[in-house]
Amino acid sequence: MKMQHDESKSTGELPVSLSDQVNLLASMAAEFANTLDVDETLLKALHHITDFLKAEGGAVFLLDEATQIISCVACYGATEITGLKLENGQGVVGACVTNNQGALVRDVRNDANFYAAVDDQTGFVTRSILCAPLSVKDGCVGAIELVNKQNPDDLFNETDLKVLETLAASAALAVINARMAKALVEQERVKRELELAAEIQRRFLPDDSTAEDAKLPISGINKAARGVSGDFFDYFRLPDGRIYFGLGDVSGKGINASLLMSKTASLFRCLGKTVRDPGRLLGMINAELCETAAHGMFVTMVAGIYDPRPGCEGLIRLSNAGHEPVLLFREGEFQTFKADGPPLGIVPPFEGEDGSYEEVRIFPKQGALYIYTDGLTEGYTETGDTLEDEGVKNILTSMKNNTLKEQLAELVRTVTQADRPLRDDVTVLALTDSQRSNDEVGLKPAETETYGSEESDGDWLIDFKFPAQPSWMKLARACVRQACVKVGCEEAETNDVVLALDEACQNVIRHAYGGPSEDEIELTVRSRPGRLVFRLRDFAAPVDPSKIKPRDLDDVRPGGLGTHLIQEVMDEVQYLRPSQGEGNLLRLVKNIKLK
Amino acid sequence: MNLDTREENGVVIFELNGEVDLETSPQLRQALLEQVNADKPVVVGMAGVAYIDSSGIASLVESYQTARRNKTGFALADISDSAIRVLQLARLDKVFTIHDTIDAAVTELST
Repeated sequence: MKMQHDESKSTGELPVSLSDQVNLLASMAAEFANTLDVDETLLKALHHITDFLKAEGGAVFLLDEATQIISCVACYGATEITGLKLENGQGVVGACVTNNQGALVRDVRNDANFYAAVDDQTGFVTRSILCAPLSVKDGCVGAIELVNKQNPDDLFNETDLKVLETLAASAALAVINARMAKALVEQERVKRELELAAEIQRRFLPDDSTAEDAKLPISGINKAARGVSGDFFDYFRLPDGRIYFGLGDVSGKGINASLLMSKTASLFRCLGKTVRDPGRLLGMINAELCETAAHGMFVTMVAGIYDPRPGCEGLIRLSNAGHEPVLLFREGEFQTFKADGPPLGIVPPFEGEDGSYEEVRIFPKQGALYIYTDGLTEGYTETGDTLEDEGVKNILTSMKNNTLKEQLAELVRTVTQADRPLRDDVTVLALTDSQRSNDEVGLKPAETETYGSEESDGDWLIDFKFPAQPSWMKLARACVRQACVKVGCEEAETNDVVLALDEACQNVIRHAYGGPSEDEIELTVRSRPGRLVFRLRDFAAPVDPSKIKPRDLDDVRPGGLGTHLIQEVMDEVQYLRPSQGEGNLLRLVKNIKLK
Repeated sequence: MNLDTREENGVVIFELNGEVDLETSPQLRQALLEQVNADKPVVVGMAGVAYIDSSGIASLVESYQTARRNKTGFALADISDSAIRVLQLARLDKVFTIHDTIDAAVTELST
């Protein structure tokens, strides 16, 4: 589009003096530089400019980059057109923005670009227009337009255009500054939100500063490469005293990884409370992630249960879904346990199968187990080399007499360099069997608070845990029989007690679990002279004892006999709530004849 | 649990052995009900029952009641000490027809 510059000089008025121009420019520039409320400043500037150049009215237009629509954002004098929208290129203003060049239209009647529609709407008569682009380095963000000299005989001149162009340039800078400031504020806001997200994530992790967690023979560290982490670890004590632990690494980094991490960590903690088989737990998390996770994202994870209870030899049941090998460090030797299955979220379980992962059984024999993410082995050490499994083993070997916490802190420190960011999230989890009292050397088993009340029931005889399934009843009976024989019960008495316990287990299967279940029944037997005390515990929802009352025996019908048999045989029958955790507890006492 | 079946003079004889519990009793229940529902008189010999729980007893009760409804005979015979103890605890020792020997039960039911 061709610019319309009138060659003739303005007549009548003296040209604005240079010192006035400089003063106005200086004050406007200062004002623009100090404001973040650009709309208000533009309006104020427009007043100054319009008055200074003795125009009847003025307007500021801004270009919306996305829609290419030019809108009037401020207006002064003459007629109110705030909100007026123009297509880019439309009218004198549109041409000015498109070409990023000022325009002086001495008489609109001679200008092809003049857009008469506005005058038609407002009734204003435009005679002369001065327009300057809001130019910035690589384009134009809008324009300032002045209309008509106040004196009807006057027309705008070249000097007026120069002044307006100079003012427009500093106004443009103010617009850009304000936009950048807004973007900065937005950036700050996102950063703060990320910090909050990271804080929430940290709370997912166990807090070993609490007295409860500090007592556990397990410790972990998670260090995020960025604010939020794609790794997690977790552990918690089950009501029966065993410790569930898990560690996972989500593919990728950043927000998407951290969201999937949050989901996986929540599933682990929530399902872990009832699913006490690590392999089955991983299978369930896998099924869930396959159903809902974003395609292409997956999680490598290790889950395990450590059993520090007396008689259980510190058994660790471990399941590994595509994660780094797990290390067992014992008497200076390392043993590795590799993944048995694919990462979670890739292969959905076959129809009709639960998709459980394999489990390995580890007897740690006072050793320690270490699980870590590749952020550790692939982390850079001081020399610039990656740490690798060998590096991990070397550190653990040299620190074998230190505490778990010290060992883990050293591992993470080794891959944390002051001069470069972490390559990936680093997470380590370690568990030691050394705090468990060794049954073989005859130490008295440590009692947890959970079982404190059992102490009064007498000496420990048997702990037996089994799935709530009919096929396990035979073994449960054998256990009870053995306990009876051990304390010298007569055969008939033994048979009765065995029957009563069998019936009690059946009640758990039927009434607590609502049928055969993978969930467990926990049987403990204690004795003191003259009596045997049995505790039968399940992990089902609480059952109302009144629902298991014995039936009227005169009413001959199948079923409902079990509870009657228990009461017939036992001297005390009490339905209790476990002192910790969910489930039901049945306490049975049998007085036995002393020989 | 082990269950042997034979027929004598139109009477079906089951010889029940071993441990009858929650795992095995469904098998006993099915076998007994099949015969009593076919209107066959049934004798259950229980000399070899080392253990029986309430689910096993329930199978016997259900079969006994079905037989009564069908007006066919149902008797227990030669019951081991441990099994009779459970029947006593359940106060069912007076409910069932109990014979000392299988032969005596068969004689009774085939007449």
